[in-house]
Amino acid sequence: MTRVALRGIRSHLGRFLLSILAVLLGVGFVAGTFSLRAMMSATFDDIVESGTNADTYVQGTKIEATGGDAMTGFAGAQQFPIEMVDVIAEADGVAGVVPDVSGSIVLVGADGTAVMSNGPPSFGMGLAPDETAIWMADGREPTGPGEIALETAALESSGLAVGDTTTVVLAGEIREVEVVGEVGFAAPMAGAIMVGLDMETAMAAYAPDGMVDLVGVYAEDGVSQTELASSVEATLAGVPGTDSVEVLTGDQMRDDGREQWQSMLGFISTFLLVFAGIALFVGTFIISNTFAMVVRQRQREFAMLRAVGASPSQVFASVLGQAAVIGVVGSLLGVGAGVGLVAGLQQIFAGMGMELSGRIPLDGFTIAISVITGTLVSLVAAVVPARKAALTAPVEAMRDDVVSHDRASRWRTAAGAVLLVGGLVAVAAAATGVIEDNRPSLLGVGAGAIVISVLMLAPTIVPAVLGVLAAPAVRGMRPLGGLAKGNVTRHPKRTASTAGALMVGMALVGAASVLAASAQASVRDVVDNESQADLLLQSATWDVPAELVSEVATLDGLRRVDPLRVAYTTAVDGEVTPVVGAPVGFFDATLTVPVVDGATAAMADGQAVVQELAAEPKGWEVGDTLTVAGSVGTVDVTIGAVIDSRAIGASVILPDAVYDTVADPTSTMTDTVFLLAEPGADIAQIRDQVTELAAPYVVVSVMDGEEFGDAIAEQVNQMLVILYALLGLSIVIAVLGIVNTLALSISERTREIGLLRAVGLGRLQLAGVVTIESVLTAVFGTVLGIGVGAGLAATMPTVFRDEGFTALVIPWGPLGALLGLAVVVGALAAVWPAVRAARMDVLEAIAYE
Amino acid sequence: MRPVTVYPRGEGAIASARGLVKVYGSGETAVRALDGVDVDFARGELTAIMGPSGSGKSTLMHCMAGLDTLTGGTVVIDGEDVGRMNQRGLTKLRRDRLGFVFQAYNLIPTLTAEENITLPLDIARRPVDRAWFDLVVDAVGLGDRLDHRPSELSGGQQQRVACARALVSRPAVVFADEPTGNLDSRSSGEVLEFLRHSVDELGQAIVMVTHDPSAASYAHRVVFLDDGRLVGEILEPTAESVLDALRELGVGRRDRADLVGAGAVAGAASAIVAGNGVGVLGGRR
Repeated sequence: MTRVALRGIRSHLGRFLLSILAVLLGVGFVAGTFSLRAMMSATFDDIVESGTNADTYVQGTKIEATGGDAMTGFAGAQQFPIEMVDVIAEADGVAGVVPDVSGSIVLVGADGTAVMSNGPPSFGMGLAPDETAIWMADGREPTGPGEIALETAALESSGLAVGDTTTVVLAGEIREVEVVGEVGFAAPMAGAIMVGLDMETAMAAYAPDGMVDLVGVYAEDGVSQTELASSVEATLAGVPGTDSVEVLTGDQMRDDGREQWQSMLGFISTFLLVFAGIALFVGTFIISNTFAMVVRQRQREFAMLRAVGASPSQVFASVLGQAAVIGVVGSLLGVGAGVGLVAGLQQIFAGMGMELSGRIPLDGFTIAISVITGTLVSLVAAVVPARKAALTAPVEAMRDDVVSHDRASRWRTAAGAVLLVGGLVAVAAAATGVIEDNRPSLLGVGAGAIVISVLMLAPTIVPAVLGVLAAPAVRGMRPLGGLAKGNVTRHPKRTASTAGALMVGMALVGAASVLAASAQASVRDVVDNESQADLLLQSATWDVPAELVSEVATLDGLRRVDPLRVAYTTAVDGEVTPVVGAPVGFFDATLTVPVVDGATAAMADGQAVVQELAAEPKGWEVGDTLTVAGSVGTVDVTIGAVIDSRAIGASVILPDAVYDTVADPTSTMTDTVFLLAEPGADIAQIRDQVTELAAPYVVVSVMDGEEFGDAIAEQVNQMLVILYALLGLSIVIAVLGIVNTLALSISERTREIGLLRAVGLGRLQLAGVVTIESVLTAVFGTVLGIGVGAGLAATMPTVFRDEGFTALVIPWGPLGALLGLAVVVGALAAVWPAVRAARMDVLEAIAYE
Repeated sequence: MRPVTVYPRGEGAIASARGLVKVYGSGETAVRALDGVDVDFARGELTAIMGPSGSGKSTLMHCMAGLDTLTGGTVVIDGEDVGRMNQRGLTKLRRDRLGFVFQAYNLIPTLTAEENITLPLDIARRPVDRAWFDLVVDAVGLGDRLDHRPSELSGGQQQRVACARALVSRPAVVFADEPTGNLDSRSSGEVLEFLRHSVDELGQAIVMVTHDPSAASYAHRVVFLDDGRLVGEILEPTAESVLDALRELGVGRRDRADLVGAGAVAGAASAIVAGNGVGVLGGRR
């Protein structure tokens, strides 16, 4: 039996090729994700190792707080005076002390534009003589405010050379500087831009009050980390003000650093694995379909085996055995594909300026997981067809014709119907708000139920829906259309299964499109309704330079200049919460927000304004006190008003004066600046003036309300593109499924095709029939998918109204384009099967046994 | 049995073959399926081609219908030289000038009986002559089953639908390959009646390959094929005369086989000719 099974694969390899390809793609994605994660982990480990290479660290005590998102991990550290460096230097065994004085900077490159990469930051760093991770590769160190040194990769991306002059924006100021040296750094920069400054300049920019939050200590030869740590701790023990610091060994510091990166990577890899899972899920459709068709074609063979004495379980095992072989072969190839994919990504990242660690790790774990996943998927997909094969009655061997019913069982239809009704009820309940609690989860469960039920009911609706879809072809292209329609409706389960794979991917794409369009419209809604500003300023570095703000404030014709500042490393009532600082009167004049309780004028009294979204679950009310803690200090504020605004992302807004007592000025970001013109002022002229002022700062954009909406829309589009790319793989696999089904069904219909050709159907006409079939299947899957996806997404704005979805927009244009794409893709999928069909020799086809 | 009729210069024949040779394979394993066949088929005639298995009957039909290429000789259908046609030309020939009925798998399962009947016309985008269509359907006796699928028709009914399809485009020749092979005697009778009727009343030319003497008895003429050659024909056949002719052929075969073994081929061949009065076609290439 094993021989029969294995020989069967070899002799009919063509049939199984596409299934192997499907496994390959799905597993490739999985293997690639693990491999990518390992590579990024290695890269970041490298960075941590080389960049954080001191033997001991003195760090400001972390602010006591819970929460914090996966990205930052902690609330922030307290600061201590830099003079402590001298104290530390006195300790035994200390060879050198290096304070960490760094912050953001904008570097203007040779072409006059800011040097930026797509994610990693640009930062300036004070160069200390004792720093061993850094050395001068060329030139010399900067010695004054007019000099900088650039790290090797930064030098390259900027197009500058040692000796050139350029501009930097540092601490909100524009400055002309000369590049006096090239800095070598022990770790890969992974795209981050490092600008070396002389220590005094760095201090002036990043620690103007003389406070730092991290100092690295290097040991003399022969002194261990723990020894150094205890020595430093002892030295600091008696000094006043040292209760705000803690001493860590270098290893502990590096472990902390690694932990943070790991949690971020975990988040990313989980995200990617979800899409890999979708791809594999779609792959099961192909495998299942292939085996269903192969079993059907080999029905006589199985009957013969049974007649000759094979038991049902032997037949079952032989079919599953074939599935296992496909799974293993596909998985092994998939691992190779995944590694290749990561290698390709590495090149792409390198091109974008992000160097990742050279070696591509391929460990046993990745291989094992990939093979197991692929094989399991294969086996699960083949179970039902294998069972059918095992139950073939021996008498079928004598029959000439293959008779099988491909209609969905009653059980399946009934279960599908129940599930559909249940899902619709759940979604309706969530959307209309009949049930208050857990609306998102209810929506999620309902959506899942609807998707699964549609997949289950698909065979039942195939005849009806395809009848409608095929009508134009049947009328307009006789008899080709009629023949094609007959072929796709002949086996409803098979068509449903093939189209179902495409439906899954298209549903997600459709949903994403609707959500994106709605999000974009919601933002515009909010901007239109709430913002009274005539102009808005934003920076590509998320921080508008303070100097620019003061310059703009001096212009004529402006009634108000309101910068909104954000601090991310603050804690409110012990929980990490970003806090916004706004000028008094902001909510009365510039951003007219709906006020739920209290009065925003209370900001004048130093009171805070909070968002209803946060206030409700936490039970905050007007008159309550909140404890806000930041790097600079902790303060108690009274809640003066509760508002409900989509425009501001943070939950707590403090008046500027109060904000300054809490947030660290060097890590504060001026997120947006709102400009309100005097009534009757010439806005165009003001805009020109502001633009002129902003130009030297390079990264600042001046926008009016509409352009602001456009800018946000652009960001949403970028995220959408990434989503489409991830879903693209599932769609490719689904299309392969269509090719697969077509090819196998053509081989099944050989005699019929022979008859058609004998009766005078031309080769081109035959290819036309095949193409129409393919297009019908693709369109069916797409229509179903978009219907379900967009339909479900349409309910989301009502459920997620609090998250900022005020508008529901169905992007008919993009959805129509998707449909058009389905037609094109269907036609392409048909090419190879159509060519094969057309090439069939008529006589051989008629006589086919 | 008498020698096969061949019209001088092929006049009056709707389909004819001259020196038709078909060889499969090459070198040592070459099989000469047709070894120089000359034959004419006329309008208004139902001709049956018979012979033992391996005699080449189906091959003869395939070659004449443009389904297979010729190794040598010519085939002319309705004035067109089939041997010279390319794939496109052959497709058009099959579509416009020929009709086919096979032993099985004659119908497209997803189309109704009516759609199956008009299939060649639909493919050729020719309008259906409704009067002719009704006539054919009436003759075939399927007027009330036109909207049924093949799976809803009996074997005999399916074959009759196939016959109707073959005739509805008014082809020059209809080629039928064992049309009653899978049918019981009553359905066979119905189909054969219809074929004969369409030749007599409607003036069609039908060439039918069969191994069944009672089927052959419905024909106007039966030609006999043996080892790739036409060895004779019978006019106005009855089941008995056909059986007799087949018996002669069978005896001839056995004798030939013995004599081949004995090595006296030439003498035996003339002895057979003289002894049984069977006309052997030879010489004319």
